[in-house]
Amino acid sequence: MNAPARRLTIGVVDYGAGNLASVARAVTGLGHRCRVSRDTDTLAATDALVLPGVGAFPAAMAALHRHRLVEFLQRQARAGQPLVGICLGMQLLAETSSEHRVTAGLGLIPGHVHPLEEAGWHIGWNRLEVRQGDPLLGPSDGEALYFNHAYVFSTPAEYVVGVARLQKPFTAAVRRGRVIGLQFHPEKSQLGGQDLLRRVFDGLSGDATC
Amino acid sequence: MLTKRLMGVITVKEGWAVQSVGYRLHRPLGRPETLAENLDRWGVDEILVQCIDRGERGPDLALLSRLCRQGLSTPLVYAGGVRSVDDGVRAVQAGAERIAVDAWLHDSADTVEALAEPLGAQALVAVLPVSLAADGRVAWLDHRSRQSRPFSAEVMALLRSGHISEALLVDWQHEGIHGAFDHRLLDAWPVPELPLIGFGGLDEPEAIRKALSRDRVVAAAIGNALSHREHALQRLRAALTDLPLRPPQYAPLSTIAPWS
Repeated sequence: MNAPARRLTIGVVDYGAGNLASVARAVTGLGHRCRVSRDTDTLAATDALVLPGVGAFPAAMAALHRHRLVEFLQRQARAGQPLVGICLGMQLLAETSSEHRVTAGLGLIPGHVHPLEEAGWHIGWNRLEVRQGDPLLGPSDGEALYFNHAYVFSTPAEYVVGVARLQKPFTAAVRRGRVIGLQFHPEKSQLGGQDLLRRVFDGLSGDATC
Repeated sequence: MLTKRLMGVITVKEGWAVQSVGYRLHRPLGRPETLAENLDRWGVDEILVQCIDRGERGPDLALLSRLCRQGLSTPLVYAGGVRSVDDGVRAVQAGAERIAVDAWLHDSADTVEALAEPLGAQALVAVLPVSLAADGRVAWLDHRSRQSRPFSAEVMALLRSGHISEALLVDWQHEGIHGAFDHRLLDAWPVPELPLIGFGGLDEPEAIRKALSRDRVVAAAIGNALSHREHALQRLRAALTDLPLRPPQYAPLSTIAPWS
């Protein structure tokens, strides 16, 4: 693995949902430092935050509330600290979700999470189609990445930076400034995922216009 | 386009990876961590780790943690000893992306759906060792009693409920036998809405093509056959380019750690 241009400290938000260790291992595998924590001072001191997640939206939001992380994440994102949501972590960026019942999300990117229309779930490797020429995702256009979800994020087109397809396209990546959401698992998408994650960390933590 | 998948299967007994033949004979292969590292490097689409002797001991969280610390970049499906919601959640937290359940389905199928609440149906796989009965219907094996019987009404209801996303249909009688998978099982499967993963003697390109050509079959699970030949996985992919699979991939030398 090539050393990163700049060694970053990445904070992985530990709210008790999902596979934190895999994300942390992916971060250190890229040559960055990793802090897995729910302590807000520790997380605030990092170069970028990762919000991972496996499971259902209501349980994840309940855990974020329980650990008093909702306001913290909203505050940090609005202050410009880079935030990367992965899989369920991307969906948590939305305003609401209808999974199991209507639940409020972090509200960092306008839109709603609802069931996939074409299938009960979307499991496996699918190609990312990058939209709006996003500089961080652009080189991954056409890359096969690993998805595992049953709900999708509907958001205005201005926030959609990547889609995947069953028959119709659906949101695979969203972005609003330094907040980015990835529906797929880059940490489980082998070399293509590692390359994408490297660019996301380097780009979000560097030039604000990237 | 969503591709179909080639899954690598690691069967673990008493902490060691084994070659399983017919759910009866288990030949030691080595450390599961080594096999997982190889499958990850070769680029299988998912790795299934099934610990077949966990019983009442619960999931092997220590093994999952060791696998996770290796930095696998391939999705991990875990089976073995998951008998409660807490077991499933802990296995995900230890490093699995998805959970497969087997004995729990026999003992208390009506409670399995509770695992979909915290994890989501996309994370749940049913492991179903099956054979064809004399009447042509699918019979379901309880590996503990070694008795086969028809699916219960509770299990059928669960499989149709949407709380399970895929079924691993194991041709247990032909497991570990080269090219012996019985494709009739796929056609006799009684829940057409539930996507299938074929496993058990499914290792030859033609047999895999025959299975994956069926719309309802989304993946082929392959056991020790992937370790028998150099570039076995890439040879399979190269032979199956007519199917919606990821193409063969060869990791650049820069990503391979030097021998020490």
